[in-house]
Order: sequence, then structure tokens, then C-alpha cells
Amino acid sequence: MSEHTLKFYGDELAQLKAEVSRMGGMVEAQVEDAVACITRRDADLAQSIVGRDPKIDEMQRDIEKKAIKMIALRQPVAQDLRRTVAALKLAWNLERTGDQAKNIAKRALILAEVEPITPMTRAIDRMGRLVVARLKESLDAYAASDLERGLAVWRADDDVDEHYNSLFRELLTYMMSDPRTIGACAHLLFIGKNLERIGDHATNVSEILHYEVTGEEIDGERPRWSSLEAEGLDGGDV
Amino acid sequence: MFPTSRILALGFASVVIVAVLSASGGPWAAPGLIAAFGLFLATLWLAREPSDPKPAREVSEQAETLSHGQDNSYAAALDAMADPVFIVSGAEPDDLAGRRVVFANLAAQSLLRIPKEGALLLSAVRRPEVLETIDTALYGVASASVTFETGGAQNRFWRVRASPLASSPGQSLGLVEMRDETDARRNERMRADFMANASHELRTPLASLTGFIETLRGHAREDENARDRFLSIMAVQADRMSRLIDDLMSLTRIESNEHIRPQGRCDLSLAVNDVVDAVAMMALEKKVTFALDLPPRDLAVALGDRDQILQVIQNLIDNALKYTPIGGEVVVRVRSGLKLEAAAASDVHSPRLAALEGGRLSLVSPDHTADEIFHRIEVGDSGPGMERRHLPRLSERFYRVEGQKSGEKSGTGLGLAIVKHIVNRHRGGLWVETAPSAGSVFAVYFPAAPAKADASPVTVTKAS
Repeated sequence: MSEHTLKFYGDELAQLKAEVSRMGGMVEAQVEDAVACITRRDADLAQSIVGRDPKIDEMQRDIEKKAIKMIALRQPVAQDLRRTVAALKLAWNLERTGDQAKNIAKRALILAEVEPITPMTRAIDRMGRLVVARLKESLDAYAASDLERGLAVWRADDDVDEHYNSLFRELLTYMMSDPRTIGACAHLLFIGKNLERIGDHATNVSEILHYEVTGEEIDGERPRWSSLEAEGLDGGDV
Repeated sequence: MFPTSRILALGFASVVIVAVLSASGGPWAAPGLIAAFGLFLATLWLAREPSDPKPAREVSEQAETLSHGQDNSYAAALDAMADPVFIVSGAEPDDLAGRRVVFANLAAQSLLRIPKEGALLLSAVRRPEVLETIDTALYGVASASVTFETGGAQNRFWRVRASPLASSPGQSLGLVEMRDETDARRNERMRADFMANASHELRTPLASLTGFIETLRGHAREDENARDRFLSIMAVQADRMSRLIDDLMSLTRIESNEHIRPQGRCDLSLAVNDVVDAVAMMALEKKVTFALDLPPRDLAVALGDRDQILQVIQNLIDNALKYTPIGGEVVVRVRSGLKLEAAAASDVHSPRLAALEGGRLSLVSPDHTADEIFHRIEVGDSGPGMERRHLPRLSERFYRVEGQKSGEKSGTGLGLAIVKHIVNRHRGGLWVETAPSAGSVFAVYFPAAPAKADASPVTVTKAS
């Protein structure tokens, strides 16, 4: 095989990774904006998040097409294969993350029309910042292929769950004390769940990175502790 | 061949001389001006950039010239800049992997965690709006700027400006400058927060003061007993107000330089001893004893501002004293030389983790850095503990765990917020472990100070 072909092939892999990174950047911005439009009650921002979502879906399809084409035409093996598959998996994960952000934005549109519940939106803001930081860390780790940083995100997974459980209880208390807020609080509850899912996706990103670099799953059970699970009440996907 | 800049300088100097000579009048005026113009053109021609198009593979050579070649002093000048600056090269607009950082100055290297040259642009920057700005400079050939917020533990605002550099077909270069605008933005936001918090929290004691003043003016005017009692209550309230203002002020001060890393050194064992000495009287009153477990001197030296670390220890020990019942014990332990994972983890066998409503949560954790060593201080009380659901909100300003007795014993509600901001400034961490009726442990960890270069041999042998 000539050097030219080899070089071209390496370029294609780099291109794939670059596209996944760019998609990651888009999704990161979507999640950040989604949290901001809850705290700032910004309906315009929420609209633009919903409007940008198809672009993310398109990027995901594009990456998928390129990765499949690469597997078909170049038949990569070992790490090259893992890199291709990782790009595929990441694109799926990021697309789901983008959907969660879009869901948050849609709820923000509804919340912007009712009375503000400031203490609760502050809790959402706190949780949102944590989730955004985790997503950023895991994508940074992927872009730099830094296994250690990825593992650090993976290990700290229970923080988000802890925030979610706390938010859940707070919202219940709030709804019980003032039933007029039930409508808005229910939306906030779903938003909390969306953020919790985004946190899980960030963990997935580090798992995929681990697979890409080492070819193995991360050893051991993911550290998580959800009281809902303990009570047999896990809500599953929302 | 002379460097371009020297040719330009020489050329322009001769243009100026000829022009001045001719402008002084006489028969040489007209031909002199023409000669000056000719020289000017010649200078421009000599100094022109080589215009042959460069293929993409020459990008790395170009980077080499930028960093090692004759323009070495320019690279050094860029390195000396405090603001991150980098140069991006791009091939085709739709070739994402073709966009590379051909040169990054020192500030950019450490901020974006990229090497000096050759990094993929997308591994340095992912923000869509920043990428768009850079694209505008590369392909729209126009300067553009944008602001963005980084998020994360140390939130910052950056303004990014991208401007086009010389480009040739199939190869465009752009200069990207970043400027930290965190201070301006943060001051703005903090002023608003401060006013909101301060006015809300000061209203309560103020209302009670006004109430007592009314009473003293009215029917209690002649009642000596009531007057004394009211005055002492008023003194307590005034005291509370002044403590609150002190805390708010110090919080504001800490926040205002939160993203400037402290430089001093602080021995944690000595600091703990100092604080324990200072609160000895208070502990004696409550018959609370201290159990200290400290490494010897010079083993746990943290990189940080001593006064602020003392304030952290003081706040944690104050809290522990507050919640420990009479005759109880406060445990203070310093662990030195921990890796980040070890510093951020607690004792696996802790009874609090096993308790039904118990749990732990890290309230501050530093960005991951490889191989950094931390020292940790743990302060444990034998108080009532808390339920797990309170943990995420603990470091929030004015947050109080419900069911706690309020009154004289209660603090300002700012203690842990202050701890959190100081720890964040030091790039350290803070975690809590608690369970109802099993007490709480608050742990802070700070990065270790690098070994002193001028340390005396005696200390070195002692440490090893």
C-alpha cells in the first residue's frame, strides 16, 4: 500500500474525531443554554435551542454515515476499528444528550409563562452547572484521548444522583406545602430527570473513551447510589 | 537574505532622507520626489511576502519557522504575553481535521492543554460560536470577536478575537487572541448578589432592633428591668448584624480574587494547632475535648494563603464545636501526601456511609491534574448529623438545615460558603460525610506546596 493511501486513511480517522468533537461542542452549548433559559426565564433562548436540535441530528447522521462507510471500505482493525466504533457510539450518546437539552428547553417555554419558583430553579441551576462541568470534562478527555481524566469523571458519577435525589425531595415538599405550584414543580421534576440523564451520558462518554483507548470495559460497578433504586422506585428513562 | 523588517526600515529611512532633501527646495525638488517614490516602491518590492502558494504539508514547516527559525524572537514575545494567543491554519473550509494550531503561546498551551504546535483545533476549542468566529477569520477574511463562558468549577468569561493573517489558496492562517473578562463580569454580578443577600439577611435583626426601640420609647420607658433586658437583647442583635456584615465582606473579598491562585505556604499541622489554641476557652466552657491526629511539622505544607486556610479551619472547628453536645469530642485529623483520588475519597468503613439516611458528597472538587499531591484536614463532630438530602445545599449562602435550633448558637449561615470559596480558590476540594445521630465529618484538601528549593539539608533528611 502506498504511503499516500495510509496517510489519507489516518486523516479520515482524525476527521471523524474532529466531527465528534464539534458535535460535542454543539451539544455542550445546548445543555448550557438549556440550564440558562430555566434560570433566566428566557423564552427566546429556549426557542433557539429547539430550533438548533435538527442540526445536531443531522450531524449524528453524518457521522454515522461516514463511520459505516469507513468500516465498509477500509475494514479497520484493532484501535482503528475501536476509534470508528467509538465515534459511532459517541454520536448516538451526544444526540440523546441534545434531545434531553431540547426537552428542557421545551419545558422552559411553559415555565416562562407561570409564576417563578426561585428556590427550585436555583437548585436546577446548581445541578445543571455540575452536569455541564462533567460533560465538558468528559469531552475534553475524549478530545485529548486522556484516559485518566475520563476515569475521574466516571468515578464521580454519584454526585449528580445525589443532587437529583435532593431536588426530588425538595420538590415534593414544595408541592405538598402549596398545591398551586404542582404544575410548575412537575415540569421541574422532569427537568431534573433530564439533567440526571445527561450526567449519565457524560459517564458513557468516558466509558466509550476507555473502550477506545484500551479495548476493554471499565472494571467494576459504576459507583452509584440512588435512594429511588433502594426503594425500588427507579423511574427509568424519562 | 536580510529579514523583512530590516529591509523595510532601511528602505523607508532612505525614502525619508531623499524626500526631506528634495522638500528643502532648489533645482533637485522634482527629480528628488520621483526618486523618493521609486525607492519607496523598491522597498515594498524587496519586503514583499513570497507569494507562491504553499501545499498543506508545509504547515508543519511553517510552524517550525514560527517557533525555531529566524522569527524566534516573535515567538518569544508571544510567549511572554499573559493572554492566550494562538495561530490556526486551515485548508479547505469543510476539512475539520485540517484546522490545526500551528503555534500556541505559553498561556494558550496551559489554558487549552495543547502542545506548542500541531494540535487539532477541535481538541483545543469546541464551542460552536468560537469555531464560527475562527472560521470567519480563516475563510471570511474578516476579524470577528465573541464572548463565552467556560462553565466548570472555575467559571470564566473569555472574549475571543480572531483576525486573518496572510493566506494563500488552499491555506489560510488566522490569529486568535483570548482575553479574560471574568473580573468585570463577576464584579457586576457580585454587586447584585451582595445587595440582595445583605438586605434580606439584615432585615431580621434590624426589625427586632426597631421593635425594641419602639417599646423602649413607649410603655417600657419607665420600667428599669425591662429596659435592661431589652438592651441586652438589642446588643445581641447588633452583634449578629456586625458578624453578618463581617462575613459578607470577607466572602466578597475572597470571591473577588477566587480565580487568582494563592502563592504562599502553610503548614497544616501548625495551623490546626493555632486554631485549637484559639478556641480552647470556648471548648472548655462546653467541656468539649479535642482529639488531634497530626503529622509532624513540615510534612503537610500546603500551597496557599495562610490566613485563608486558618479561616477555613476556624470555620470548620467552630461548626464542629457548635454541634457537638456538652462533654463530647471533636476529632481533627491531618493526612499528608495523598493523590487526588485518595484525597477525594473517604474511609470505606465509615459507619456513616452504612447508615440508612447517611451519605457523603463532595461539595468542591478540583479539576483533574495528574500527579498532584494533596494534604487533607478532616474535622469530625459527635453532633446530631444531618440527613443526606441536605448535603447538596450545604455550602449555599444562608442555607440552614431545618430543625436546627436557631438563636444565639446559630451562625451567620455563611461559614461553609466562605470555606467553599477559599477551597475553590486554592484548587482544593471539600467533602462532607454525615448520618443522622452519627455526627458529621467535613474534610478539606489543599494542593501540597512544592518542596522548597532552599530547604536546609536538615529538613530534607527529616522528611525522607
